[in-house]
Amino acid sequence: MNLLFIRSIEGRILMGITMFVGMMILVGWVAINEEARMQSFVQQHTGRSIERGAELYALNCSECHGEEGYGAGDRAPGLNNPHFFGYDPVGLHTAAIINANRALVRLNKNTDSLLAEMTDAENPPTEERQNEILAALTELEAQIDEQNATIESAVAGRVAVLESLDTAVENGLFPLWDTVVDIETTSENEVEVFFYNNGTRLAQVGWAGDLRGYIITTLIHGRPGSGNVWPNSEGMAAWSQTAGGRFRHDEIEDLAAYILNWDKGADWAFEDYIAVAQYGKPLADGSLPSEPPPPPAGDNVMGILARWEANEIVGSEVSGADLYDAEFGCTDCHRGGASAPDTIGTLARIQNERLTAPGFEGYTVEQYLVESITRPGDYVVDGYSSGLMPVNFGVRMTDQQLADIVAFLMSQ
Amino acid sequence: MSILPFPSFLDDVKEKGFKKAVFEGIDDSVERLTAGLNVQDLREAFRGETASRRPNPRLTPHADGFWLHMRPSYFNRDVTGMYPSFRLGWLSSYFVWFETITGILLMLWYTPSPEIAYGDMLTILSNVPLGQLMRDMHRLGAEFMVAVVAMHMMRTWFTGSYKKPRQFTWFTGLLLLVITGFLSFSGYLLPWDQLSLWAVTIGASMAEATPVVGDQVNLLLRGAPELGANGLLRFYLLHVLALPALLFIMFGVHYYKVIIHGHSLPPRKENIGEDTAKRVPLDKRVYFIPDMLTYEMMWLGATTFIITVLCIWFYHAPLENHANPEVTPLGTTAPWYFLWIQGALKLGDKFVWGVAFPTVALGGLALLPYLDVTPSRRYAHRRFMITIALLLISLTTILSYMGLAKFAVQTSAETEIVHELTFEPAHSKVGIGRTIPFDQMIVGAYTTAQLHGRDDMSATDIIAEFNAEVFANGQFDQLIQELKDQKVGANQLPLRFRTIPAAEAPKVMRVMEEFHHHLAAVEAKELPGVWGALVITDNQAGLKRLDWIVSWDSVLIEGGQVQLDEAGEPILVYSERVDSEGNPIPVRRIFSDHLFIHEASAYFD
Repeated sequence: MNLLFIRSIEGRILMGITMFVGMMILVGWVAINEEARMQSFVQQHTGRSIERGAELYALNCSECHGEEGYGAGDRAPGLNNPHFFGYDPVGLHTAAIINANRALVRLNKNTDSLLAEMTDAENPPTEERQNEILAALTELEAQIDEQNATIESAVAGRVAVLESLDTAVENGLFPLWDTVVDIETTSENEVEVFFYNNGTRLAQVGWAGDLRGYIITTLIHGRPGSGNVWPNSEGMAAWSQTAGGRFRHDEIEDLAAYILNWDKGADWAFEDYIAVAQYGKPLADGSLPSEPPPPPAGDNVMGILARWEANEIVGSEVSGADLYDAEFGCTDCHRGGASAPDTIGTLARIQNERLTAPGFEGYTVEQYLVESITRPGDYVVDGYSSGLMPVNFGVRMTDQQLADIVAFLMSQ
Repeated sequence: MSILPFPSFLDDVKEKGFKKAVFEGIDDSVERLTAGLNVQDLREAFRGETASRRPNPRLTPHADGFWLHMRPSYFNRDVTGMYPSFRLGWLSSYFVWFETITGILLMLWYTPSPEIAYGDMLTILSNVPLGQLMRDMHRLGAEFMVAVVAMHMMRTWFTGSYKKPRQFTWFTGLLLLVITGFLSFSGYLLPWDQLSLWAVTIGASMAEATPVVGDQVNLLLRGAPELGANGLLRFYLLHVLALPALLFIMFGVHYYKVIIHGHSLPPRKENIGEDTAKRVPLDKRVYFIPDMLTYEMMWLGATTFIITVLCIWFYHAPLENHANPEVTPLGTTAPWYFLWIQGALKLGDKFVWGVAFPTVALGGLALLPYLDVTPSRRYAHRRFMITIALLLISLTTILSYMGLAKFAVQTSAETEIVHELTFEPAHSKVGIGRTIPFDQMIVGAYTTAQLHGRDDMSATDIIAEFNAEVFANGQFDQLIQELKDQKVGANQLPLRFRTIPAAEAPKVMRVMEEFHHHLAAVEAKELPGVWGALVITDNQAGLKRLDWIVSWDSVLIEGGQVQLDEAGEPILVYSERVDSEGNPIPVRRIFSDHLFIHEASAYFD
């Protein structure tokens, strides 16, 4: 203690300075380690959140959803399975069939037009042309066979998967599969629509957000009407205090963390489908839409242009104008040129200014427009802020819609 | 002639040359900032030389400046050492400022709402650089402040410094102690975790016992019958506004009184009945500038350094689970400085011990200087008062001990034991069951029966025999039923007991030994024929479930007391079933609790 009663003034000044410097060094040392500490705290806290969620689940949810999340007693669906976590067991096959069917439409159309040309009585083709056509027809026939083989093997693959998942299907994976889809009478297209709409739980309920959002929303609000499809249950209640239930929001988060912790990612296996006692049931009447939803355009610019070419997609200025103004709201920004380049004069500007700029050698106007719409961040016109234009138009638009908008813009 | 319409630095440069003008300018500024000391004066002061200017410039900051106007310009050498003050008054003031600064920093990230407050705590810990350090410092500072202020009071008692003319100083000091207690207490609620909610619920419920106005006071304090959004807001406002305002005012009054009367000298330095604190002989004067100033700056650095070290390596402010009014944690206690009231409450009536007793105690303290009017401050002449002080300290210590959860609270042994093994982190302690490393949680059912100290058999044989026994007498079925009731998945139920994997999981072995040790201590009286079990099951990837089970023969319990027969043995409760020899079989009871452990949770040991 005598240390603190240093009688010489120099000693005190020295001691005080040492202490202050020491303290600052310590705080600095803590500061440089803060990132790591905070990260490990987050991990630790997530772990404890899962633990609390496990406790809440065992106490409140396991009665109906099963202790291990497989569902129990015809009261509620299993949650611990790949279907719930967005892994479609026949998804690859379904996609292959849809793609092959799409290709077939194109190939058949080409075949028809070549045959028409060949058999045109008024304007018969020259012999040379006839040979060309015959060669092309042979080529097309080979391609059609190829696509048919693809479909056949995908269908067989799917049947194999469904057979190995027999128990799971019986337990409600692909609900209504037996009642709604009759292989004999249902058109192929409807079968594909069925799988497209039932491949994952989120597709089944038509949820546009992510799984966590779906879980949290369901926990908060419950699922009105679920009591009607689960014979031994009153239906999923609203659990959040906000909606009259018993859980605080942090408890809802804990539960969601616990449920999400079932996700095995790449390690899901067929056994996981089979372990489930009961899968989710659709709340709707089970009737099928007639059209499969058209696939989105995506953001592969050259791919989009190639598809337009291959599928003979031609844009319509009129419907493009409609989409531009109303559905996608492009005019909201592209008006007057204040926050984004003006709609009026688009074509001239692209031809005279943009494509002459360095880096756009070999670009066509269409290519420039498609890239600007689907990948708006790749190039931002000088004088405008980057990051303003939404990057998801490629996902929201179909090939046809994109083509319409491009056609509209090229008329401006 | 000035180029500007008023005298300027440029004129000085013209007149005296650049160098001289600059130095004089600096000198002038320093003298203004320090309210009287120029560079030369400062240099002399910090070199320990005597002042060369007359009148002594080191006194001007006290007379002319704001910051030092309340600080005396010199102290008596007899009060500048460790004794008699132990620097406790200085430390109390230090903590007032320390808490204010750390508190204001924490306020930046805090919203007093039950929906947000706990999340804010997590944000401070997970997303605010140095947030954890700041919170630890504020919390530790608060605990120190209560202790330091209380010790400051007892020191004043021991040296008799409350005596005439300092009676009122003592009274304001007592008010400061009460304010400090309430400041610390009101801060307790703000993290909105289980610890806050229940410690404060217990504390605030004492207000309820006040006759006539109890309910109103309670309602006023909590804003509702139960602690909730209003209560939190009120405690927050008390904590950051009302109480600090009172504290600063009383702090001013208290210090003013201290200076007016002078720091009281060590008792033996004065003649009996004299008060010479204000008459400091020239040779005893220790000037504030530079001596006390350098002392205080050094202590400031040292104290802050020590707190920083403590908060980095030895102390972390507790944060339990989110407050939950529906779950009362076992063994909740008031903050340590209110434990004495909680202990007193166990003596009987809530009003007598929870309200009247503390009021009388504080009233007695307030009146102390007016009751003890003997003139002498010498220890030898104050044996009675010093005995009273020691008795007071002993009483408070005993009552505080009685306030602990383990004292005279009726909890059944099995609950107590399992809680001891599994409790969540609180007060920097955690149930040993939670500290098993994740990779040592090997799935299986283990029992304390393996540890019943039978050296003649191998562990494998003991377990085999035990399995046979519990399969035969239905105790294993009872265990399985209990696990099912507690929602253990059907695929996870154990088939039989296994030997504890001591080699792969030494920590499990240690935990089971502790479990066994606890059970053995109460087996004879409360839990005859007891065995404990730990069932580890897989729940999810990275998540295990640990079920703790106690199974024993039921004994007759009346009024929370185990009933004994004439031989002093507990009276068993028998079922209607009989064993093969026709003897009645005691009713077998089973108790279980469980916890989930995630591999990232990292419970400390």
